[in-house]
This record gives sequence, structure tokens and C-alpha cells, in this order.
Amino acid sequence: MKRLTIMAVALVLAGCSGGGGQKGPGAAAPPLVVHAIDSGTFQENFNPFHLEGVNFGTTGMIYETLEYFNKLKPGETQPWLALSHAWSNDGKTITFTLRQGVKWTDGKPFTADDVVFTFETMIKHPELNKSAVELAGAKALAPDKVQLDFKSTSYAKLFNISGSTAIVPKHLFEKENPVTFTNPKPVGTGPYKLVKFSAQLYEMTKNPDYWQPGKPVVPTVRFPAYTANAVQTGLQQGEIDWAGAFVPDIDKIYVQGKPETNKYYFPPEGVVALLPNLTHPVLSKPEVRQAISLAIDRDKIVKVAERGYTKVAHPTGIPIPGGEAFLPPAYKNAAYKVDIAKAKELLKGVDPAQLKFQLLVPSPFTDWVNAAQLIREDLAKVGITVETRGVAFQDWVSKVGKGSYDLSIRATPAGASPYFQMRSLLFSELAKPVGTAATGNYQRWKDAASDKLIHDYAATDDLAAQQKAAQGLGTIMVEKLPVLPLFYSPAWAQFRTSKYVGWPSEQDPYAMPSPYTSPDAAVVLLNLRPAGT
Amino acid sequence: MRFLARRLGFYLLTAWAAVTLNFLIPRLMPGDPVDLLVARLKGNVDPAAVEAMKKAFGISDAGLWTQYVDYLGNLFRGELGRSITFFPTEVSTVIADSLPWTIGLVGVATLISYVVGTSLGVLMAWKRGTWLDGVLPAATFLHAVPYFWVALVLVFVFGSTLQWFPGSRAYGLEVTPGVTGDFLASVAYHATLPAVTIVVASMADRILGMRNVMVTTLGEDYVVMAEAKGLTSRRVMWAYAARNAILPNITSFALSLGFVVGGSVLTEIVFSYPGIGSMLLKGVENEDFPLMQGIFLVISLAVLVANLLADLAYVLLDPRTRQ
Repeated sequence: MKRLTIMAVALVLAGCSGGGGQKGPGAAAPPLVVHAIDSGTFQENFNPFHLEGVNFGTTGMIYETLEYFNKLKPGETQPWLALSHAWSNDGKTITFTLRQGVKWTDGKPFTADDVVFTFETMIKHPELNKSAVELAGAKALAPDKVQLDFKSTSYAKLFNISGSTAIVPKHLFEKENPVTFTNPKPVGTGPYKLVKFSAQLYEMTKNPDYWQPGKPVVPTVRFPAYTANAVQTGLQQGEIDWAGAFVPDIDKIYVQGKPETNKYYFPPEGVVALLPNLTHPVLSKPEVRQAISLAIDRDKIVKVAERGYTKVAHPTGIPIPGGEAFLPPAYKNAAYKVDIAKAKELLKGVDPAQLKFQLLVPSPFTDWVNAAQLIREDLAKVGITVETRGVAFQDWVSKVGKGSYDLSIRATPAGASPYFQMRSLLFSELAKPVGTAATGNYQRWKDAASDKLIHDYAATDDLAAQQKAAQGLGTIMVEKLPVLPLFYSPAWAQFRTSKYVGWPSEQDPYAMPSPYTSPDAAVVLLNLRPAGT
Repeated sequence: MRFLARRLGFYLLTAWAAVTLNFLIPRLMPGDPVDLLVARLKGNVDPAAVEAMKKAFGISDAGLWTQYVDYLGNLFRGELGRSITFFPTEVSTVIADSLPWTIGLVGVATLISYVVGTSLGVLMAWKRGTWLDGVLPAATFLHAVPYFWVALVLVFVFGSTLQWFPGSRAYGLEVTPGVTGDFLASVAYHATLPAVTIVVASMADRILGMRNVMVTTLGEDYVVMAEAKGLTSRRVMWAYAARNAILPNITSFALSLGFVVGGSVLTEIVFSYPGIGSMLLKGVENEDFPLMQGIFLVISLAVLVANLLADLAYVLLDPRTRQ
């Protein structure tokens, strides 16, 4: 959970680095070496229904989704295996028109039956329905038309339906138990095929019959296993072309004075916020939260604790750039400013003896631990005593989930649209009583206006209406401070342009640049071209 | 026979206690594996799917007692369940994949450390007052320094700076696993630094133990007599003195064999070695009960078996213990 400074300077040079490409008709294009997640060894699992045990690249590179959602530009989607979708029945039915002529890598055609089979599998095995889509049924209307029915209005779940569910071949998966199947010989529609697997390395080569003509350009992608320690050495020695790793001193370890080839781009993928436990009698007072927010020097936190890898969050918590359209117009240019005098003023009516809180942080996240120290110092200036307490990751997850804390720091993922973030921050149904593990809204915010706006958002497919609801939620964030956004959590991405160019950048954020984001990583691969072209 | 039966009974009781602790300890940790998964996956899973996932992972809210009975039953049938971290891989597969690496690395290193350490101990007792005396403080120093620190220094000097040996992985990326010369050479090359770490850090014990007993033995009448008979010093040293002095070291060797499986968790982590220690770390981080239980079980059984072997070896070697 670290962040980045975006160095526009380096990125301006993108695409014009010509150094050291060996090209020409005879020379084969070099393989791309990718590090997605820290892992000492790989298990042979390429079943896209699975969550964590599955190897990266399964969704996106081997199996594909119906549509592609650019998380860096909420609202921007691209047809993929489906050419279009149409909602009906108040958002309880969606019909997809499928792309024709797509083939599985074993030569069989991709049809509506495969899509129906994929969604029926999720109905039959709810444990594979990892996005909790409320599916009621799936049927093929024609060889290129699929209709899905839902138990409730599902406009807001479109990303989970068509953007993150990988379509599997019915003719191979119907013979297996999808819950325990490890799919060692995956057959997909995607741009790559698995050709080699060992516990320390797997390798994919391009699918010559891929439906996007002339793509992909990168012929071979290799995934070696690197642990968190080894990946630093790997980046330092130039073994890795594309990584998604936190690097403590990136200029020294990775850039090494060559910003034109050793690039990085850490766009926001969520917001890290200070959570006040709203069941606490003092923290439930808005003026106390306001005072805390005014006293915290977020610039310093970003610079010192986060090494400048990220940016201070917008007061609405909505990731910027990308989410501009979802910002309330009145607070479009809002920004945090430290104001000790005003904070003290706000605290005048509160008994100073009550201003004592414990700030719970997971000790393995050293950056958050540092941030907590800075917060403690800042709050001391306005007369609030904070005791920072570092606990094991497991302990922190459990305590925050159950609401047994005063203050804590936690990241909330942005998802494909601000709906996901706002819902998990503010939806009252997620706020469980203290003592029961919650799965969101850990600070226990209960507000009818927030709930209504969340319902409004989910009840419509109209982008303008969704933006309006998000703006309303943003206003609540700024004015009522249910949580105190601190900074954005960055997506980690280091990539070298010595072999290939065309990576996402701040100027052209066409996909999440991290190799561990699916299916975005495949979209990045499809956009790469040899260096010097 | 009665001795054997008594020992076996004792070991069965110990095994039951170990199995029960294996069951209890992971459950005393705070948190829940699925909540951890959701926290770690940063939004790639909808929290509403948590219930269904718990079902898939076989996590039940049943009472501790029911869980315990199920656990014992499964254990009896040899079923360790499926790992949560590596779902849906079976715990037995995860252990079977990682155990050979640990046994190979730590086992060979333990053997080397034992043979070299014992021989050095014999020599040092024999040649007291020579430069060899200086080896002991040096070895003790390395023994006193934490394992992982030695490992980090070796990685830094020979792995990163000089680049003589690889500092991570069990074999090179360019070789395919199989019984080929290339692969075996790569494995040996990659095992060098971790093995040296273990040998260097564990040798002092053997040297010290062997030397001390040897010094006492050298004062025995039969050694003096062997010397008086005019036997070669080599013969006196090995056949008369060392042979009698080695008994305690055999026990300690048998015991350390048990800890081979428990491995050198830190060494494996520093060298990114895919052994059982790395798996255990993953299991603990993810509150992967089935995996932790499986690994603890294998470790406790290995220690028990090694203890049993040490008991038996002693009975064979020293008639006095048979009473």
C-alpha cells in the first residue's frame, strides 16, 4: 500500500526511446518477463472461477470477459467477447450480443452456450460467484445472443457481470467439478496460450488465431516466481520487464538514473482513509471529526510516510484523475488545508479529557505505521491524545471488521466506478453491530440520505443520473466526514521500455498498468509494440 | 520388548497431544481466513460472496468439539483437506511438493555439519594447544549469530555483490525439472548458499560436544594403555577414544534429524527456497488452518519418529540402557 509521485517528465518521453532493440526480419521478438505477485512457487491452477490460488494471466490472457472496463476512466467500456448489451425489465434482465468468429484455442467455436454455461455454473455453485451477482437464470436466445436474468436490479453490477467474469468453454468444463478443477491445460479465447508450467516458472505464447488481427505483438510472456525479497533484486538487475511491486527506494533500486527506459506509473486504485469509529461517543460528533481532519497534514504524510509515491486524496475520496465527472460541482476544486486554529475552535465544546483515542494499524504496513505516527503528532497540536498501536495483520482485520477500535487506517478499493467505493464506505446495510464482523462501512455510518443516493445510483443505467448520485455522496463525504480520506492507494507498475513500448501512462491511461490486475494486464499486452517503432 | 512397548505407548500419547495442539493453536489466532482473503484481494471479491466462499473452503461455524471430531476422523483416513491459500490444491500435495526441497537441503546440510563438526571435535581434542583451538571460538561466534543474519550476509556478499552464487530459488529458470544433469547441477548450485548457512550456523554444537567428551575419554585408562601398547595415534584417536566419545553426539544427531523437517524457516525465507518453511509462513499469514495443521502434523511426527530412533539407537549401542 504505497504510493507514487507521478513524474510527468519521464512519461513525456514515452515511446521515443530507441535504445537497444534488436529488430529486423530475422530476429525474433524477445520474450517479456512479468512479475505479477510475490510468490515463491506456483501451483498449477488456471481455473478462472478461482480467486487467489489461480495464476495471474488466467483471466484476460487466456480467458476473456464479455466487455472491458477501464478502471482509470470510470464509465469507459469497450466491447470484447460481447459486441453490445441491452438492459430491460428495470435492470433485472440483460441481453448480450456476442462477437462471431471467435475460436477456442482447441479450434472449437465460441458460442452463446459457453456464456450460458459460465453463468449457470455460478448459479449452481454459489461459492464461485465471487462478485455476488444475484443471478436468477441464463439462456441462449440465438447463437450470438444471451439473456441473463437477475433477482434484483443489477445496473450497478455490470462490471461484475461482463467485466470480471471470464467465459469458459462448456465442452471442457462440463466434464469437471468447477469448484476443485485446477485446469492444468487451459483452453481459452484470449491472446495467449499456456505452453510451459513448473513450480518456478510458467510461460505463455501468443494465440496465432486470436480474433484481434495482427495481435498480440509480444510473442512470449514468461512469469517467473519471485518472492518479495527476490523481486527487488530482480528489478535491480534488470531481469524483469514488467512488475507490480512496492520498491522502497525506487530511484536507486529500479530507475538507476535511466528514467527514459526504467519507467513506473502508480495511478490511484482506491483511497486510504482514517476511519473514526462512529459508535464511539466522542468520534460520533461531527465537529470532532472536522477538527481531526483539519489538524492532519496530509502533504507531509504523502511525502514522508508514502515516499511521494501517491497523492493526497480529493476530499470526496473519489480517485482523480479519472473520476472528475463524479465530483460535486461545489467541491470540484476542494483540497485539504491544515488549520490548527479552526480545529481548536471546533473542539472548544468538548471535554479535553475525552479526546483520547487509540489508532490501530497493521504493523506489517510500515507506511501506515509511519502515517499513524505523523497523525499522532498532528493531533497532539490540537489537544487530542492519540496512542498508536501496531498489531498483526490478522488481528487488525478482525478488530476493524468487528468495530472494536477508536481510529484506524484502511484502504477502500475504487472498483470500476465510484459506486463500489461509495457503497462499501457509506451503505448502512454493511454496518454491522459492534462485535459482528462487517464487510464494509467499518466505521458504522448510518444515514438515510446516503442510503437513498446509493439506491438511486443502483437503480439506473443512465450515466448522468449515476453521476448525480455519486456527486450527492461526495457532498456527504466532504460535509459530514463519515470517514477522513488521507491519500490514494496506488496500483504498482514498473515497466521497461527497452524491449516494448506502448505502456499506459498518465497521458494515455487506457488500462490499469499493474500486471496483477485482470483483465487489464491483457489489454496492456495487446497495446505493446517493439521498442523503436 | 516391554521397554519397546512402553516407549511406543508413550509416543502414541505424545502424538495425540501434538495432534490436538495442532488443531487448537491455529484456531486461537485472531481473525478468519476468508476475511483476510477479502482484505488482501483489495476489491477483487465482493464481500457479499464471503459466506459462499467459507463453504467452498470448508470453514464451518460448528462448535469446536464437532470440528475436533471431524478433524480426527479425517486425519485417521489420511485426509488433510484442501489448502485455503492454494485452493483447491490438497494440503497433502502442497506438503509433498515442498517437503523434498527441505529434506534435501536441510538434511544434507545437517549431515555435512555433523560429519565435519564431529571430526573437527575429535581433532581438536587430540591436538589441544595447537592453532586448531582457534576454530572453536570462531565457530561459537557464528553459532551465536542468528541464522538469518548469516544468510543475509551470504546473500549480500556472494549473491548480490560478487554474484558467484544465486541468492534465491531452488533451481534456475532456464532448466526444466527432471532427472537431468543440467537440472541437478542447477539444484546443487542454488543450494550452496543456504546449505553453507546451515552448516556454518550449526557446526559449533557438534564440535563442542564432541571435543568435550573426547577430552574426558582421552583421560581413560584404556586410552593410556592403547598408547602404551604403541598403537598409532590415528588408531588410538579414532578406534579407542572417538568411538567411545561419540555416543552423546549420535543422540543429538538423531534428534536434529527430527528438526530437519521443521527446517530452517528463516533460511528458506531469505533464500526464497520453496521448502516447507516457506509454505508454513504462507499458511500462517493467510490463516490457512488446513495447511498449518498439515505442516505442524508432519513436523511433530518427524520429531517423534526421530526421538524414537534415537531411543532405539541408544538401546543398540549402549547395553546399560536396556534395563
